[in-house]
Amino acid sequence: MMGFCLRRIMYMIPTLFLVSIVTFVIIQLPPGDYLDSLAADMGESGSDNTAVVETLRQQYGLGQPMYVQYYKWMKGILLHGNFGISFEKNVLVTDLIWDRLGWTFGISMLTLLFIWITALPIGIYSAVRKYSFGDYTATFFGFIGLAVPNFLLALLMMYVSFKYFGQSVGGLVSPEYIGEPWSQAKFINLLQHIWMPIVVVGTSGAAALIRIMRANLLDELYRPYVATARAKGMSEFQLLMKYPVRVALNPFISTIGWILPSLVSGEIIVAVVMNLPTTGPLLLRALLVQDMYLAGSLILIVSLLTVIGTLISDLLLAWIDPRIRYQ
Amino acid sequence: MKTYNKIPDYLGKGVAGICLTIASTLPAMAYEQAPMLDEQVEAGTLPPVDERLPKEPLIMDVVEQAGEYGGTLRRAILGGGDQHNMVRTIGSDNMVRWDPQWTEVRPNIAKSWDVSDDASTFTFHLREGMRWSDGEPFSADDIMFWYEDVFTNPDLTPNMDSTFVGPEGPVKVNKIDDYTVEFDFGTANGLFIQNMAYGFGYHPTAYPKHYLSQFHEKYNPDVQTMVEADPAAADWIQLFNLKAGPMDTPLFWQNPDRPTLHAWHLKNAYGSTDRVVAERNPYYYKVDEKGQQLPYMDRITYDQVEDVETILLKAFNGEIDYMLRHLGRPSNKASLTDNMERGQYRFFDVGDLPANIMILMLNLNHTDPVKREVINNKDFRIGLSHAVDRQEIIDLLYFGAATAAQTAPREGSELYKEWYAKQYTEFDQELANKHLDMAGLDKRDEEGFRLGPDGKRFTLVFLVADVFGLQYPDAMELIANYAADVGLDIQVRATDRSRLIALHTANEQDAYLWNCSGGQADAYTTPICYVPIVGNSVSWAREWAQWGVDNTTGSEPPQAVKDIFTAYNEVKAAGTPEDMKARMQKVLDMSMEQFFTIGLVQNDPVFGIARNNVRNVPEPLPIAGQLWFPAPYTAQMYFEGGANLP
Repeated sequence: MMGFCLRRIMYMIPTLFLVSIVTFVIIQLPPGDYLDSLAADMGESGSDNTAVVETLRQQYGLGQPMYVQYYKWMKGILLHGNFGISFEKNVLVTDLIWDRLGWTFGISMLTLLFIWITALPIGIYSAVRKYSFGDYTATFFGFIGLAVPNFLLALLMMYVSFKYFGQSVGGLVSPEYIGEPWSQAKFINLLQHIWMPIVVVGTSGAAALIRIMRANLLDELYRPYVATARAKGMSEFQLLMKYPVRVALNPFISTIGWILPSLVSGEIIVAVVMNLPTTGPLLLRALLVQDMYLAGSLILIVSLLTVIGTLISDLLLAWIDPRIRYQ
Repeated sequence: MKTYNKIPDYLGKGVAGICLTIASTLPAMAYEQAPMLDEQVEAGTLPPVDERLPKEPLIMDVVEQAGEYGGTLRRAILGGGDQHNMVRTIGSDNMVRWDPQWTEVRPNIAKSWDVSDDASTFTFHLREGMRWSDGEPFSADDIMFWYEDVFTNPDLTPNMDSTFVGPEGPVKVNKIDDYTVEFDFGTANGLFIQNMAYGFGYHPTAYPKHYLSQFHEKYNPDVQTMVEADPAAADWIQLFNLKAGPMDTPLFWQNPDRPTLHAWHLKNAYGSTDRVVAERNPYYYKVDEKGQQLPYMDRITYDQVEDVETILLKAFNGEIDYMLRHLGRPSNKASLTDNMERGQYRFFDVGDLPANIMILMLNLNHTDPVKREVINNKDFRIGLSHAVDRQEIIDLLYFGAATAAQTAPREGSELYKEWYAKQYTEFDQELANKHLDMAGLDKRDEEGFRLGPDGKRFTLVFLVADVFGLQYPDAMELIANYAADVGLDIQVRATDRSRLIALHTANEQDAYLWNCSGGQADAYTTPICYVPIVGNSVSWAREWAQWGVDNTTGSEPPQAVKDIFTAYNEVKAAGTPEDMKARMQKVLDMSMEQFFTIGLVQNDPVFGIARNNVRNVPEPLPIAGQLWFPAPYTAQMYFEGGANLP
């Protein structure tokens, strides 16, 4: 087991190294750089200013060859934990992302919780009571949840809460609480807002999970081992939870590796539409304006999470499913 | 020598040439301050208002009436690249300013100015006792710091702003005494005062010496320790640029420590939080006629959002007090009208009237000799111009709220001539075909497309980016179809705007779609579509423009273009306003005759919203690429009742 873990961790190093190179190169591939984008911004505002752009070109060291820029970036990360500077915000990338990563994880974990709390019981129910009224209802809403794009749902909910409840929409707290210290009232206000992104992002996830759970469980329910257990007089609920559900959970665990990164980078559009202080809008903006160290760092962190997630799911699978060998 | 403190008759904005030499001082009177400052003054942490104001404060000409103190002007700002949101509400408050109608230049930071008879030397008289937002005195030394240590330092200013470069080279600035500075161009530069009133004139008064000298090698031998402490800087130049960034970039708004002369001062950096807050500058040098120190409003807040649609929702909810940016688009008018009652706001007119909002910028300096030859043939451009059904574009994309016109000064501007705007604008395929045939594209291939002089199909690749919210990509598809109807092959390449800019500034484009300023009084100072000028966003003859700056670079233009360069230089040397107008008219006559760019659409005035109790709102509010309004006039806006509407 130890050897298995070590080997897995060793694999991560070259993977991450390659990922960092690919990230850096891909971000630089589009022609132009941050200053072209700044010039475009200024051009759109009607203030055409060549002088300023030339001043800043040397400021950001955008003229050096790519491998020099990469070397400097990597050296900063490895030796000082310095992910570089965000060109647009002129602060360290690390100062910029931790706050947002916190919100992202908070919202994502709550969403994950929401998904599992709703989807697993419903999935089990609709498998056990196949073709019942409840199964059809769950299936119906499940498919709607899958079919409606998240951002559309977000817009719809924002419209409804604006039109009929007069709520201030966008952001996680109402405007009067922005920049205020935390208080009970602000926390309640947060709760009034935070359910919306959770439900929006959660519905499609939950819908998919219901379908997968139902299908997996249906495969297991009619296996001989279930009949055996039942014949031995085991109670129906205990039987269900102990054997078929446990086996049916297998695919969830193997996909944890994908959940982690999708929690960070996923739902960018929802976050933009709902104006959430998460990493999504930051990454999108960074890519649009070619703020390369910011974008590169976010992508690198997401990749790191994928690799770690894969490791976790490998370990969990090995632990939960004795059929898997350590080779 | 002429002196001005009110009417720049020299600039001839239709004002009689009276020279007022009496400084506009108030009789001995007690000044008043905002109640929010009372506590600090009583506690002794802030000097009394009379000591904070200069000896001769600027008595601001308010739009309606003297106002009352209080309230927070609430706006929204995009998470990135939206610094002009602040530039245009707070930042643009220069040495001199345009009046709210954009007709004459008035004193601002300078209480008056003199112009030498040959229009080569400009002397500004500053206000004695004026202070920066941190309370330190502002004097000629700050301007000299900008001039000697920033502007003429090639490390800090590799490229000088054209406002401060005359025909003979960069300006020379001399300190006469503590409150008098002289800008000497050595030769006539008659547009200088106008330029100082426009956006980029901010430079000389944006560099507080007492604060910025600590980041300057010359003043601080230990600057290296500061560089090492700042991970964002590798040397003192980078450190200085971080602390003293240009106002029209995000850098300026990310350093709240830098003292300013603005009406409100930043409390936190743009981009750092969900809300940028600017609080009143207790040392602001303007008062109203009652002696109340401006600004009236306590604060301006900018809530950071990621999506323009969110701003719209905030407006419906009454969370926006005064705004035109992002909101004033024709497509938003209907929904904003529906929610007027709920949001308790009203509309005001905005004169955002550029020379044209949709221009086919053909590259007259194309590197491919065949394309260059065809594009430079005026008949080709006339033919293409006649081929486009402008009215259909306007009806389909802009709900009919625009006019078919060329790139030209607007009707109502003093330089307007009907033929400038209307030549070759009628949709006439027969005429189009005739001119294209005359341009030598009279042979066609089997698919009906015209062949170039080299016998191959003549194709123009148009770059188009989705900018200005004007649906350019859709328009470009229509234009390509009109061109195909007369046998001209236009390929549309939709692209990202920074790529578009990178391509055309490298002179690698066939053509692209963009807009152009110069529709009103800014035709004098930014004739970027009338005279070849090197710029970031507009290139239709980049090599000629480079040649115009330095005859050893770029490529030599034909005589007609050289004549335009000469004629425009003569505008700067004009002696009287009438003379200046006549000379500019001559430039325009020559330029329109050349027909450099093909303009399609001139927009109708746009609009902004102001909540019902916001008063002293300039209307119609002129804005332009260089005219960063409403900034110098935000300080005199106020809330009736002294607070925001609920």
